[in-house]
Amino acid sequence: MRIAIAEDSIFVREGLTRILRDADLDVIAAFDNADALMREVRHSSPDLVIVDIRLPPTHADEGLRAAIHIREHHPQVAVLVLSQYVELALAMQLLADSAEGVGYLLKDRIGNVNEFISAVHRVADGGSAIDPKIVSALMQRRRSENPLVFLTPREREVMELMATGTSNQGIADQLMITTRAVEKYVSSIFDKLGIPSSRTDSRRVMAVLLYLRS
Amino acid sequence: MSSSEVAPQVIRTSGAATTLRRPTVRALWLTGLAGVAVVTWFSFLAAASGQLPHPAVGVLVVGWITVPYLVSGLIAWWRRPASRLGPLMLAAGFVTPLALLPFANQQIWLSVGELFEVLPAAIYLHIFLAYPSGRLAGRYERITVLSCYAATLVLTVVKVMLGLSPTNIFAVTVSPVAALRVEQVQFGLICALLLCGAVQLYTRRRILGRPKRRLPALLVDSFGLALVSLAALSIGGIRPWPGIGVVQAITSLAMGLAPVVFLFGLLDMRLARTDVGGLLVELDRDPTLDLQGPLARALHDPSLELAYWLPDQDIWTDQDGHPIELPGPDQRRSIRLIYRNQEPVAALFFDPTLGDEEELLNAVSAAAGIALENGRLRAELRAKLQELQSSRVRALEAGWRERQRLERNLHDGAQQRLVGISIELGSLENRAMADPQLKQRLTRTREEVSASLEELRSIARGIYPAVLSGHGLAVAVESLATSAAVPVRLEVGITERLPEAVEVAAYYIASEALANIGKHAHANTATVRVNRDGDLLVVEVSDDGIGGASITGGSGLRGLRDRAEVLGGRVLITNPAGGGTTIRAEIPCG
Repeated sequence: MRIAIAEDSIFVREGLTRILRDADLDVIAAFDNADALMREVRHSSPDLVIVDIRLPPTHADEGLRAAIHIREHHPQVAVLVLSQYVELALAMQLLADSAEGVGYLLKDRIGNVNEFISAVHRVADGGSAIDPKIVSALMQRRRSENPLVFLTPREREVMELMATGTSNQGIADQLMITTRAVEKYVSSIFDKLGIPSSRTDSRRVMAVLLYLRS
Repeated sequence: MSSSEVAPQVIRTSGAATTLRRPTVRALWLTGLAGVAVVTWFSFLAAASGQLPHPAVGVLVVGWITVPYLVSGLIAWWRRPASRLGPLMLAAGFVTPLALLPFANQQIWLSVGELFEVLPAAIYLHIFLAYPSGRLAGRYERITVLSCYAATLVLTVVKVMLGLSPTNIFAVTVSPVAALRVEQVQFGLICALLLCGAVQLYTRRRILGRPKRRLPALLVDSFGLALVSLAALSIGGIRPWPGIGVVQAITSLAMGLAPVVFLFGLLDMRLARTDVGGLLVELDRDPTLDLQGPLARALHDPSLELAYWLPDQDIWTDQDGHPIELPGPDQRRSIRLIYRNQEPVAALFFDPTLGDEEELLNAVSAAAGIALENGRLRAELRAKLQELQSSRVRALEAGWRERQRLERNLHDGAQQRLVGISIELGSLENRAMADPQLKQRLTRTREEVSASLEELRSIARGIYPAVLSGHGLAVAVESLATSAAVPVRLEVGITERLPEAVEVAAYYIASEALANIGKHAHANTATVRVNRDGDLLVVEVSDDGIGGASITGGSGLRGLRDRAEVLGGRVLITNPAGGGTTIRAEIPCG
């Protein structure tokens, strides 16, 4: 897998490069700004870009804009956005209308190397990786008429993991249950909340996020 | 304090800057008597010769024109020595009777009379174009008047020398045909120049507007009329036509009326002077009155403006304390500085026609003396208030810059380093597979780093919401709603970016209002609305709690008001009877 990075902090950039290489992933280039990343994308079309949301020169939204641009114009390139802060609205901007091949993670997730590497693989394979913080904030968000109260605690756990982009197998591994059981929970959740069920993982992420956001 | 200190000294600063001395009473008498002698003597010469067709009518007409010019000229010279208009009108008074001389029997008088017969036309033109200052303001006006003098004097000398009337002692040769041709050219030229003058009067009125004051306006209109009828008469000099008598009558009437109207102008000044009394009464009734209006009324000039000199700030301001530039001494505005103790206090800008009324300006300035001092103090206070307001804004903005800088430093420094450490620890964990105890300790350390990051993140966010400057109000408000203590309905009707100060204020108002709801309102839900209403950004936060919120109650809500007011906005808090509270902030964002 060929990966290009844009991250202005040298600590983060080098740490990131090292753990990716340790995991036998091919980091073809690492930049400290969005323009160089864009040139690299046009030039060598990597499989995945990892981009910091705040980049020079203004440290406002250069990274996010680059990510959105890549999603629009180079759909074959998967995009993983890193940020110090997680913002639902920004994640939704990034997703636009599809959660395919896209991730939005808090920077300190990288420290959990194994989970981070699996998120990288998931995104590169066309899945999604949404930071659990976003999902839990959405789940905990108090609603005046809250259909989530109809979910069992287990169903809520499954729903949180599902919304981050975790596959059924991944959910099963984390909750230490069978994939069969996961499938049962998932269809029960969709029934209770009235969300049309979706075939792929990334579509189901989108559906759940849209549902939670409304 | 002596009275001389109270009365401001008035110093003329522009217009006719050279203050000519007022004529002595003797000079006035002598000039007046000389004028009367001239008109009487010339009338006698013309009437006694038997050459005049209707001696009584002729003498009467000349007297009708001459006497008002002499009288108005004397008064103008006496009352307004600074204006050249007085001497000019006196000149007209002396020159007009020369028109009687060509009817004299004595060859010498006749000859002289023929030389100056048409000169009055040029002087009238001069006066009309020079009103009110007595000076010709523009280049075209000077050219017109000079040409007219040349046409009336030089061409007359030429035609007389050519022997227009053979009996003239100045005739050098006798070629009446050539002389007649010269005369035709002369009259045509004079006619054209007079019409030119009328056009200049008209365009001046179009460009500058009618003089702001009523009586001078009437005056200017009568001048235009007189010039046109004089021009018509010049054509009559070339080829007489049937109605010429009527035009002659109208012209004479207008020529005599012009100085009469000018006398009315003088009376207007006296009328205005009675308003100095009105000004004193107004000031007495309300000493804190803003002076511009009363001064304009007292001087009968609605266009009058007042400026104060603030020595501390080294600027001129209007009465509301807004800094202004003094207008340059141009044709449109006259300016006068009012001094006290050698220091400028105030300046008046007014219609130039007022510039001649020296005494009236002195009287009004003196009457306004103390009030002007008060007015200046008020203007100073207002200027300081405005300065305070803008320094408040500057201080607030500097605060934001500093907070933004701190957040940036945290983000780029400590936070990134901690992320780097967390990655390093994570990578070490993977290499410590063989030693479960070490691996566990590394994991715990990494989790501690993560917790520190989380704390740092919330501190940094409290210092300055980076999401706001990076992504705008809509994104930032959604983020607020996600972390609020009660369920929040969001209605955000803006997608565009607004000025930073406005976004920051709106964000903090929403944030503090939501925090307040969480602490005090006992509410089940809240609604945040952010919308544009014309040039206003309206942020409305309402809840269904117990109500009773007020600005005076909690310091949090007072902070909201400060944030809005510093940007010229306001905050309204309503607690309807049915419960709940609505906080509505309106912030200008045009």
